[in-house]
Amino acid sequence: MGTSGDEENGVAGLGRPGGTGQVAGGWGNGDLGSSDDRAQFSALLEDSVEDLYEHAPCGYLSTLLDGRIAKVNTTLLDWLGYERDDLLGRRHFSDLLTVGGRLYHETHFAPLLGMQGEVSGIALELKAADGSRLPVLVTSTVRTGRDGRPLLIRTTLFDARDRRAYETELLRARKEAERERERLQRLAATLQKTLLPPTLANVPGLDVSAYYHIASVDEVGGDFYDLFPLAEGTWGLFLGDVCGKGAAAAAVTSLTRYTLRAAAVYNPDPDAVLRNLNTVLNHEYNGADPRFCTVIFGLLTPDPDRGGFHITLASGGHPPALLMRADGTTDYLPTPGGQLIGVLADAHIATTAVRLAPGDTLLLHTDGLTEAHVNAVDGVDRYGDDALLDFARTLAPTTASATVDAIRDLLDTFGSGVDDDTAVLAIHVPRPPSEELQ
Amino acid sequence: MTQRLTLRTRTAPAGAVIELAGDLDHHSAPEVRAALPGLDLRPGQQLVLDLGDVTFCDSSGITVLIAARNHALTAGAGIALAAVPDPVSRIFRICGLDQVFPVHPTALAAETAWRPTAG
Amino acid sequence: MLAHGFGCDQNMWRLVVPALERDFTVVLFDHVGAGNSDLSAWSPDRYSTLDGYVEDVLELCRELALGPVTFVGHSVSAMMGVVAAVREPEAFAGLVLLAPSPRFVDDPETGYRGGFDAEDIDELLGSLDANYLGWSGAMAPVIMGNPERPELGEELTNSFCRTDPDIARVFARVTFLSDNREDLALVKVPTLVAQCASDAIAPREVGEFVHARIPGSRLVTLDATGHCPQLAAPEETTAAITSFVEALA
Repeated sequence: MGTSGDEENGVAGLGRPGGTGQVAGGWGNGDLGSSDDRAQFSALLEDSVEDLYEHAPCGYLSTLLDGRIAKVNTTLLDWLGYERDDLLGRRHFSDLLTVGGRLYHETHFAPLLGMQGEVSGIALELKAADGSRLPVLVTSTVRTGRDGRPLLIRTTLFDARDRRAYETELLRARKEAERERERLQRLAATLQKTLLPPTLANVPGLDVSAYYHIASVDEVGGDFYDLFPLAEGTWGLFLGDVCGKGAAAAAVTSLTRYTLRAAAVYNPDPDAVLRNLNTVLNHEYNGADPRFCTVIFGLLTPDPDRGGFHITLASGGHPPALLMRADGTTDYLPTPGGQLIGVLADAHIATTAVRLAPGDTLLLHTDGLTEAHVNAVDGVDRYGDDALLDFARTLAPTTASATVDAIRDLLDTFGSGVDDDTAVLAIHVPRPPSEELQ
Repeated sequence: MTQRLTLRTRTAPAGAVIELAGDLDHHSAPEVRAALPGLDLRPGQQLVLDLGDVTFCDSSGITVLIAARNHALTAGAGIALAAVPDPVSRIFRICGLDQVFPVHPTALAAETAWRPTAG
Repeated sequence: MLAHGFGCDQNMWRLVVPALERDFTVVLFDHVGAGNSDLSAWSPDRYSTLDGYVEDVLELCRELALGPVTFVGHSVSAMMGVVAAVREPEAFAGLVLLAPSPRFVDDPETGYRGGFDAEDIDELLGSLDANYLGWSGAMAPVIMGNPERPELGEELTNSFCRTDPDIARVFARVTFLSDNREDLALVKVPTLVAQCASDAIAPREVGEFVHARIPGSRLVTLDATGHCPQLAAPEETTAAITSFVEALA
């Protein structure tokens, strides 16, 4: 076949070491110490300049500026299975290429060569006379005359079959890795979904909205929230953050969610709910690999006389809720002294109670939001609680969905600066239609 | 953006001191955790974590501080924090850790305040 | 408005823009999926035919509201210009079709010669898969900056037409399987067909075919080798565009 010239001319060729025929033999025949040897070596070298060109371990090709082939060495002819006369003056370099190669040559290789005078290390495929393909690495330089005008193009071609095989293997491995990664991401996404409620309970007279921002598609995050019915027209809600990421954190998140829901059914007092959770987590995880969470649990009760809801919030070391009043007044709802859940046998839980009047909106969030990297202005490169408060002030008075939408947009502006998952849950008491008209 | 964490340990008369600088987060917390078993900490001593140059501390950072506390308590020693920077102490207040760790203005103050307990 | 062809981006125009900018307002853009375009805006549905690209061009004309533009389309983009001008002739003052080809594949039934046979195209579309690394830039040319041509800075050499392989595959299909011969006769705006003297991708007879089918079109043959006259012969390309646009006025 056209890609092998080995048997005919004794050139091992194809880039293997020691394939330079006579010259290599010269080096191999002992040292060059004596003058006889040196003369013999020199003669060998003299005689072989043409031979070196013709039988070099790479293909040589000279083309006119329009691409027509002007000179070609035997190695390349043997690789391709062409006679010299088939090519000289008749064919263009690009005719020797596969169609993909020709396209690349015309749109990339040739323009770059024209602009820069040299192009090196381009992978192309040659089409041999018998139709077989030979991957090569191509380097071309433009030879210029004394006046600097280009005269012709010199091209060397190296056999790249080994390299191509290696690349194919690399490609296969890469595709496999991509498949694995996709599988892992699907798994993580599925797991994440099981940790969040598919829908939030519909509470009459309350507008509810939530959002979960996934920082990394590779790892399950530990944020969680829920809103669910309890006995006698009351409702429980919670939002929290389990420390860490990945499967181990997901196991804690799952335990936390189910414990909170079960504990709330047993005794809906927010303080008691978090105490129960603390006991469960503290028993399960202590020692060198502590697992804990911060969480706010709320109990919602409608106010039958004045409208709106009463909410009692218990915090276990969680960032405070934000209250945006109907009149625009906005502030954190502090729950100082609450301790994170699961670390201490007797964690302190802080509670606070507030009435949500028509027009009020309450926002719960995890610290992925306030700890997002933002463009540093004065050395502070985290978004921070103060910035969030200012942001909320620009929103108030607002609604649950408008708040969550605004925070989604805010997170979008941070882009990759959000390096931890973020959960937000907003509840809002709509004003009665009559009041809205005013 | 992120400040790489550096960790240095030394031994004071009152017990081991870990000096931390940079961001104590998801990426750097394992380094601190790995340093715990190698500490020279005897019953009755106290482990001091000097946070003077800590620029950021997230939940992973808090986890490793709690792991350090558990480590010290298991060894029969106490634990104290020194030079807690404002942003970090704010996070501590939010999650109630200021009531769990004795806090001193400097590592020296922590050592001075130490009273050997019957080991 | 200059529109680049397959496998490249607006860098393709780098050598002609400085001269054109002296006389005209020049609009450069990367097709969605190419160059610095927002890759997330790309979808195989929208961009698996020329239509998606044509819509983009028309949208660009509307958004920029520059009035009728002269659209210069290279290679496959020439046909985007043709289709766009057939659809909304009022948006275009003129068309410059640079190395155009209404159909790259030969059509034995009509005797049309596009320069590629069906087997070539099959191989090409296959090779885009096999030569994944080559098109993704891992084997992109390692080319040092050229001290004599400082405009070819590192930025160009490193980003010269790097292509997302998945998008390239779909775009290659669009490019090489489209057949817009029927559209040529419907062009009502003044058109210049600028072909290269020697072009392995769009041979001269293809340029002549385009010229013959577009009513009232002019044909120039640029003394350039290859498929990219804006790189191989920037001065001549600029001159052809400039004299065409000035004659429109």
